[in-house]
Amino acid sequence: MKRFLRTISCAAAAAVLFVFALSAAGCASSGGKTVLRVYNWEDYISQPDGSSDEYVDLIAKFEEENPGVTVEYSTFGTNENMYNELKINAAGYDLVCPSDYMIMKMIDEDMVEPFTDDFLANSNYAKYASPYIKDLFEQNEWTRYAAAYMWGTMGYVYNPELVSAEDLSSWAGIWSGKYDHMSTIKDSVRDSYFLGVAYVYREELAALAKEYGAGNMTLSDEKYAEYNEKVTAIMNRTDEDTLEKVKSALLDLKQYLYGFEVDSGKQDMITGKISINFAWSGDAVFAMDDAEPYTDENGREIPGIYLNYIVPGECSNIWFDGWVMPKGANVELAQKFIDFLSRPENAVANMNFIGYTSAVAGDEVYEEMIDWYDESAEGTPGFDEDGNALVPYDLNYFFGGTGNYDDYVIYVSEDSLNRQISAQYPTEQVIVRSAVMQHFDNETTAAVNEMWEEVKGLPIPVWAYIVIAVIIALILVAALSYIYKGKRREPKPKKGYRIQKKGA
Amino acid sequence: MTKLRFSRKQLCIPYALFLILFVVFPMLMILFYAFTGEGADGGLTFTFANFADFFTSRAKLSTLLMSITIAIISTAICLIIAYPLAYILARSNLKRKNVLLMIFIMPMWINFVLRITALRELLDLVGLLGTENYLNTIIGMVYDFLPFMLLPLYTTLEKLDKSYLEAAADLGGNKFTVFTRVTFPLSMPGVISGITMVFMPSMTNYVVSDTLSNFNITILGKLIDEYFTTYDNWHMGSMISIILLVIIFLTLLATGGFKEDKSNARGANLW
Repeated sequence: MKRFLRTISCAAAAAVLFVFALSAAGCASSGGKTVLRVYNWEDYISQPDGSSDEYVDLIAKFEEENPGVTVEYSTFGTNENMYNELKINAAGYDLVCPSDYMIMKMIDEDMVEPFTDDFLANSNYAKYASPYIKDLFEQNEWTRYAAAYMWGTMGYVYNPELVSAEDLSSWAGIWSGKYDHMSTIKDSVRDSYFLGVAYVYREELAALAKEYGAGNMTLSDEKYAEYNEKVTAIMNRTDEDTLEKVKSALLDLKQYLYGFEVDSGKQDMITGKISINFAWSGDAVFAMDDAEPYTDENGREIPGIYLNYIVPGECSNIWFDGWVMPKGANVELAQKFIDFLSRPENAVANMNFIGYTSAVAGDEVYEEMIDWYDESAEGTPGFDEDGNALVPYDLNYFFGGTGNYDDYVIYVSEDSLNRQISAQYPTEQVIVRSAVMQHFDNETTAAVNEMWEEVKGLPIPVWAYIVIAVIIALILVAALSYIYKGKRREPKPKKGYRIQKKGA
Repeated sequence: MTKLRFSRKQLCIPYALFLILFVVFPMLMILFYAFTGEGADGGLTFTFANFADFFTSRAKLSTLLMSITIAIISTAICLIIAYPLAYILARSNLKRKNVLLMIFIMPMWINFVLRITALRELLDLVGLLGTENYLNTIIGMVYDFLPFMLLPLYTTLEKLDKSYLEAAADLGGNKFTVFTRVTFPLSMPGVISGITMVFMPSMTNYVVSDTLSNFNITILGKLIDEYFTTYDNWHMGSMISIILLVIIFLTLLATGGFKEDKSNARGANLW
């Protein structure tokens, strides 16, 4: 026993030493410098890409501008992972970038530090963040705690050669054998729940849009707030009846689906495995960019397809990711970083790298968008090289007041209207009918998760029951024959004799 | 200067440390989480609710049933393919049969995710992807775990004492009888080792089912992952892990994996 104890204490001592060594190493690396610990989504900030200097290294740039500051940058894959990490390691981060509903949850649970008044009044974020985003945050009372980073809508990316846009003008478009095994939806509860709700209440939503004349409504319309509130209320229904309806709707949809995805959808669109993908607008831009035909550096024409993006008529989901500072964060430094990221030139760098739409407006972003999308011939805005009139794409709702232009309008051809630009910056009409998804309380989350689990786990094919039945029968037969054989083989001793056991 | 001397017991320390840190401690954690739940006041309370929930949920039971079905079919197919192969390889007089064996094992040297992604493209080319989800998953499992079945079978059959077979033949057994009465029973340790090696991961390896069925099929491993990451319910996740553990334990018990048989020492338990 004594020996055993010694062994154990030896082991314990070794473990303690090991931990000490680790923590010592941890301290050494940060000694003498101020550290900003940023926790962000994967691939969600402009970083150098191998040998090419196409992308700006924003973290290095920030460190250069702020001597003595080191950025410790780490990434997460889902909001829930991030949340768990914060629960375990509460004081570990100064700045994190969760999605909308998670921001609401964190604010509700009093996990985040408020911004200072100075930041809210004078930072680049205050100056350049889009007025639309700022209004949205103001309405929902998030301004104090969160600064928007990237945002977008949800819709369908589709191949116009195989799919008619008219079918997808309603969310119900993929609920039919017409596009059998041609479409994917998200393997993510919240997004697919949204889709299900939009499908279940499509008639109610359509009637509402008609009643308010949402087709021509702008954000400055006096009825906008009322209309949007009603849409938001419908899209956030979680009562039992809704859950039941959504479940059967999604199970119904499952038979027509190619599958679910969170990441592979873009690639499957590009390679033509699927023709419709329920997508985040940022991924839609990526898919459209990559699928397009182009000419490579040797002058060869690489064939491709022009994919389109559509936000069905009933409603859409407006989503965003934003910066929040967990309790105990280095507020001053964290705000400095947000301020840095909100500088339009850095927002452009991010949009270049990530492909998503920055919440920051400003003239530099606008000019970059003109560079990307405006098809006007030089000197004749609104007309292409052949003198044909282009369609104006109005972005005043987003850029208005953040720069020196009077009118933020991009001119694009009819064909391009449903391409990248519609995913990058939705039209005002799409925005009007877009709802933010609220954070569900724990009980509701559990109910929604259970619904999703059934959608994913059911139904079992008939043959599986048969296989199981056959196997159970086989096991029974084997067991019975074993018992029977065992009985028969046991030699019976003669009267008065006893069988001596082996080794006895 | 004194010589460093280690007694045998001291040499065990690294292993003991490893055992405590990575086996015993995590097991205790899983047990702890599986039988606790969040009480009304937000604190942890002891409960059997997770256990009850599992066996009353239609979705979870279906997932369990589906995982077992997929695992059994995959294992059976692996056995049917691997046994003749191992038999032929072991009995052949080829000079370089190790090279032949290596060819079958070689896929294991390539990164697993890469192989599955490649298989996905292959299945797309054949036209199975997106339609035959169950078939694809089983193909993936078999493709992936065949070497795990092949190796223990080969080792047992290779090490099999040829004099038994000669004796059986001498005593008048034809080839078929020799196989069914001598070779097969003697290769049982390899069969069992192979079955356990294939059956267990086939129930949980959700990379295969996710990639090849386009997330249409949920197996137990996936469910555990969902509970830990998206559903954020470690208690249920741990409970499912425990249930899986019990199933695997029962399989081992049924196949006699715990029997301290001398025949096991013949290299069948390669793993």
